[in-house]
Amino acid sequence: METLKKQINDANSLTELEKVRIDLFGKKGTLSKEFAKLKDVPGPEKKAFAEGLNKNKAILQTEFDARYEKLKKEEIENLLKAEAIDVSLYGNLDEKGAYHPVMATMDKIIDYFVALNFAIEDGPKIEDDFHNFEALNLPKNHPARDMQDTFFFKDGAVLRTHTSPVQIRTMLSQKPPIRMIAPGAVFRKDYDITHTPMFHQVEGLVVDAKGEISFANLKAIMSDFLHYMFGEVEVRFRPSFFPFTEPSSEVDISCIFCEGEGCRVCSHTGWLEVLGCGIVDSNVFDAVEYKDVSGYAFGLGVERFAMLLHKVPDLRMLFEGDTRLLEQFR
Amino acid sequence: MIITRTWLNNFLDITEVSDDTLYKTLNAIGLEVDNIKTYNIPAKIVVGKVLSCEKHPDADKLNVCQIEIAEGITRQIVCGAANIVEAEYVAVATIGAKLSEDFEIKHAKLRGVESNGMVCSASELGLPPMGDGIMILDETIGELIVGKEINEYKKIADTVIEIELTANRGDCLSINGVARDLSAALNIPMKAFDYESQNQEKIGLARVAKLKTEGEINASLEYVMANLSELKTSLLFTLRLAFIDKLTQNPISNLLQYLTHATGVILRAYDVSNIDVDNEEKLVINIKNVNEVMHISINDKLCAHLGIHQEESSLANESSTKVLFQASYVNPEQIVNVVSEQKLETDELYYNTSRGSEPSLCFGISYLTYLFETYYHSKLFDGSLSIGSEEIEENLITISAEEISKIIGNDIPKIEIINILKALNFKVQTSTEERFGVSIPAYRHDIQNIQDISEEIVRIIGIDNIEAKALKFVEKNRNNNTMKRYIAKKSLRSRAVSAGFDESISFAFADKNLLQKYGFKVLNDKLDIINPITTDLNTLRTTVLINLLQAAKRNVSYSKKSTALFEIGTVFNEYREEKEVLSLIFTGQKESENVSNAGKPMPINFETFVKKLSSIIGNFELKTSFESNALIHPYQSADIIINNKICGYLSKVHPTVCENFDLKETFVAEIDFEALIPQHINASNISKFQGVFKDLSFVIDKEIPYLKVALSIESLKLPLLKKFYAVDVYEDETLGKEKSLSLRLFIQSLEETLNEEDIENTVTLIINKLETEYGATLR
Repeated sequence: METLKKQINDANSLTELEKVRIDLFGKKGTLSKEFAKLKDVPGPEKKAFAEGLNKNKAILQTEFDARYEKLKKEEIENLLKAEAIDVSLYGNLDEKGAYHPVMATMDKIIDYFVALNFAIEDGPKIEDDFHNFEALNLPKNHPARDMQDTFFFKDGAVLRTHTSPVQIRTMLSQKPPIRMIAPGAVFRKDYDITHTPMFHQVEGLVVDAKGEISFANLKAIMSDFLHYMFGEVEVRFRPSFFPFTEPSSEVDISCIFCEGEGCRVCSHTGWLEVLGCGIVDSNVFDAVEYKDVSGYAFGLGVERFAMLLHKVPDLRMLFEGDTRLLEQFR
Repeated sequence: MIITRTWLNNFLDITEVSDDTLYKTLNAIGLEVDNIKTYNIPAKIVVGKVLSCEKHPDADKLNVCQIEIAEGITRQIVCGAANIVEAEYVAVATIGAKLSEDFEIKHAKLRGVESNGMVCSASELGLPPMGDGIMILDETIGELIVGKEINEYKKIADTVIEIELTANRGDCLSINGVARDLSAALNIPMKAFDYESQNQEKIGLARVAKLKTEGEINASLEYVMANLSELKTSLLFTLRLAFIDKLTQNPISNLLQYLTHATGVILRAYDVSNIDVDNEEKLVINIKNVNEVMHISINDKLCAHLGIHQEESSLANESSTKVLFQASYVNPEQIVNVVSEQKLETDELYYNTSRGSEPSLCFGISYLTYLFETYYHSKLFDGSLSIGSEEIEENLITISAEEISKIIGNDIPKIEIINILKALNFKVQTSTEERFGVSIPAYRHDIQNIQDISEEIVRIIGIDNIEAKALKFVEKNRNNNTMKRYIAKKSLRSRAVSAGFDESISFAFADKNLLQKYGFKVLNDKLDIINPITTDLNTLRTTVLINLLQAAKRNVSYSKKSTALFEIGTVFNEYREEKEVLSLIFTGQKESENVSNAGKPMPINFETFVKKLSSIIGNFELKTSFESNALIHPYQSADIIINNKICGYLSKVHPTVCENFDLKETFVAEIDFEALIPQHINASNISKFQGVFKDLSFVIDKEIPYLKVALSIESLKLPLLKKFYAVDVYEDETLGKEKSLSLRLFIQSLEETLNEEDIENTVTLIINKLETEYGATLR
C-alpha cells in the first residue's frame, strides 16, 4: 500500500501521473488485479476482503486526486510564468489625440446651456451690414462700431464681428418664446499678444412676452453659469455699455490665479472680466419687428475662458496646432 | 479718461471718501477703473526757499545755492539744473531722504564744494515728466511753508485714477462730469460754481467784434477775447496735465486742455494778434453752413470746421498777444454722420465732440474767466458774443415705477426712482399719476427711452443690491438641426481623438498666392477682403490643408517625429459660399517608438492612414482621385465615396510639397462634414439560416481598379450575395499585364438553408459578369 502511495506522489508531471493512473486504476491495473482475486476468496471472508479493497481504493483515489490538483496547479503556474512580460514597458504604445482646449471649453459651455433647455443656433460667417450692425442698434457712423474692427469685402459684406447676428437671424425665422445660444467663430481686425483675427464666442438670447424677463433673471443665470464654469468664485456685476442691450453689465469673477489678492493676470485688481450681458434693447426688437416682448442676451469669448480655465500662457499658441500644447490635454 | 483726487475735489467734496470707496463706487456705477495710483512722495523732501544762487567756482553748469529748508535752517546745496536761477521755492530732498530703495541723500562734495541735499525734478520725486530741470513750486498747490513735507501737498501727492469709459458716456469725459455721476452715487452735493468776474478790460467785446451767420447754424457758440502777455503754466496745471498725459510746451494749449478736461466744454483759441482793435478795426467772425459743416472764418479767413478741425495757422500760441476763445457744442450724432459721409479730416478734440461734449457753454466761459483771473492774472474783454440757444431742448420720457421694476425684476418704489433721477439732475414732473414724465439733461444724450432710465436706476442702486431670480420658462423640445450637427461633430471629434489625432484650430484666412501656388481655387477677386490684416492672411481659405501643413511644419521644427492633426473648420469656394470640412494630416512615423517596433516604427503608409480614417468616419469606398491640386500624389490618392457620393479625398502628399514644408512621408484628407452626419437607419431582416463563404480568384487586367469590379458585381443585385470583399491582389511577371484578384463572397438566404445549386448559380453569375465586362478568367 505504501509503495502504491509513493508511486502516486513520485509522479512529477501530469504525464507521469497519467501513467500511474493507468497502472493503478486502469483495466489491467493493480487494483483491477486485486479485485479479480475476489472471486477466489472463500465465502465468509469475501465481504471483509471486498471492504478492505474498497477502503484502499478510496484512500488511493484521494491520494491521486490531491496529487493531480497539485500538479495541475503547478503546470498552469508554469504556463503563466512562461508568458511573463515586463508590462511597464508597454505603458504608452499608441497615443490618443487631444481635444483642443478651446473646443473642449466650448463643449463645456454648451453642455450647461443645453441642459437648461437652450437651443443651439448657427448663422453664416459672412454677414451683411444689417445683421451684423444695423439690426443690433449699431447704425452707420455709431461710435460703438469702433469697438469692433471689421473685415470688409469688396461687395460690402463683412466677416461677422460677433455671434450676435445669429440672434437677429433666429428672431427673424422663429417666433418668441426663444431660448438659444449661438457658439462659433468671429473675426476682428486685431492681431497682437492678446488679440487674434479669429476667435470664438458663445452668445445667448432669451425672449418672451413683455414683462416676463428681467435683469434679475439674467443675474441669476449668469452667476450660476460662472460657478458651474469656475467653481467657488465671487461674481461681480458692473454696469457697462453695449449698443444692443440696456441696461448692460460686464461680469467679473474673483481672480482664480491669486484668489482676489491681486496679481499680474488680473492687473492687480483681484477681478477678471469674463462676459458681457444685458436686457435686449428695444431698438433691436424694433429691427426684427417684435412687439410687446422682453428679453436678455449675453456673450462671452471662448478663448478667454479656455485660457483662464486651463491656464494657457499664450493666446496665439492656440491657433498654431502646436502639439507641445495640445498633447498636454490627452 | 483720467481723473485725480484733488481735481475731483474741486467739484465734489470727497475729503471723507476713501480711495477704496471711490474705486468701488466708480466700478459700481459703470465707470470701470482701469488703474488707480497714488503718488506718495518720500519723507524728508520738503519745501525749500532759495536764498541765493551763485556759479560754482570750478564747474560752469553747477550752481551753489543757499536754501532755507526749515525755519531758520539754511543748507548749502549744489544744483545742476539751469532753471534753479528762476526759482524761489523748490522741493529739497534733505539728508536722509530716500528717493528709492538704493538712493539715499547723504552729505557730499561736488567738485570740492559741500552739498547737503538735492533739489528735485518731477521725475526724481516719482512724478510723470514735466519738462527739463527742477520742479519750481508755486502757491497754486497751496501755501508754501518752508520745511513742510512735499507729501503733505496733496495736489502733488495726488491719487490718479484711470477710467475706461464706455462709448455712450461722453458726459463723463470731464472731471466735472465724473463728479456729477459720483455725486448721485455717493449722495454728496456738487460744489456750487458761480464765478463773478472781478477784473475785466474796460473795452467791451461787442465794440471790437461782430458775429455773422450764413445758413442754418445747428450748434451753439460763445466767444470771448483776451489780451495776453507772457502766459505761464502754473505748477498746478503742469501737474494735472502731466497726470493726464496732456502737458505741452504751449501755455495756451495747456489752458485749453485744462479747461476742457475740467469742464467738458470744448474750448478753442484763435490767434487774432494782428487785429488792431484800438484803431476801431472790427473783428468779423463769420459762421457759414456749408453742407451741414459750420465753416468758421475770421475776417474772411477760414479758420475751422466747427467741432471737427481747426486750421494750423489760426491756432493761438505763446507769442499770441490777442486771442479769441470759442466755446462750442454740436450734437454728436449729427457731427458723426457729417464727418463720416464727407470723409472729413478731424483733430484731437473731435473725439470729445463726437462722444457728446458739455452743452453748457456759459459754464465753460465763466470757468475760463475764473481760471484767467485766478491763475493767469490776465484780463478778458467785457462781455461775450454768442449764437445758438443755451437751452438745448431736453428730451422728455414718460415712465412708471411698475415698468422699471419689471425690467429690473425687483420692486423699486416710485419714491426711490424719483430720488435717484433727481440726484442725476433729471427733472421729474412729479404727480400722483402712475406714469410720470422725466426730462433728461442735455448732456445725457445717451438717455433715450425707459430702458436707458432703468439702467440709471440699476447703476445707482448697484447691481449687487438687485436680487437674482431664476427665470420660469416653458419647457419645449429645442433639439433642432444645429444641435444634430453639433452632436455629429462632437462624436466625429471624439473618434478622431481616439484615433490619435490632436484637434487643431487655425484661422479661416489664407495667403492667396500660396493657395494658388498649390493649385487650390481662390476667392473671386471681386468678392475678396478689402482690408486684410497681413499679406499672409489676405483671403479666406478654400482648404484647411495648407493650415495643417504649416502646423505640421512648425511641429517638425520643434523636433516632433510625427504629427497627427485634425480640424473641423469652415472653408469657402470661389463664390465665397461657406461649408465645413473635416481635414486631417498625418506626417512621420506611423506609431510611437517603443519596444514592439524596436524604436524604429515604419513611416505612415496608405494602409495605416486609411485604417485610421475609417475608424473616424466609418465605411467608405475609394476610387482614383479627380482632385488636381499640387498636394496630390498621382499614384496614392483617392476620392472618398460615402453613400455613392464623392465627398472628399485623401492622398499621400506629393514629395515636392513635403520638401517645401520640411516633412517626411505625409498623408492628408479633406472631407465634407455634411456627408459625415449620421443618417437615419432602418433595420433589415436577419437571416436565421447558415451562410457560406466562397473564395474566387480571377485573372484580370491590371488597370481595372477593384471599385469597378465591385460596382459590376453590385449591379447584378444578387439576392443571396450578402457581402463580398477583396482579400488578395497579386502581380508577377508570369501574369504580364494582368493581375490576380481574390474575392471572398458571403452567401446566405433569408428564407431557407442554401443548397449547392443556389450557391453555384450565384457564383456563376459573378464569373460570367466579370468575364463579359473585363475578360476576367477564373484562375
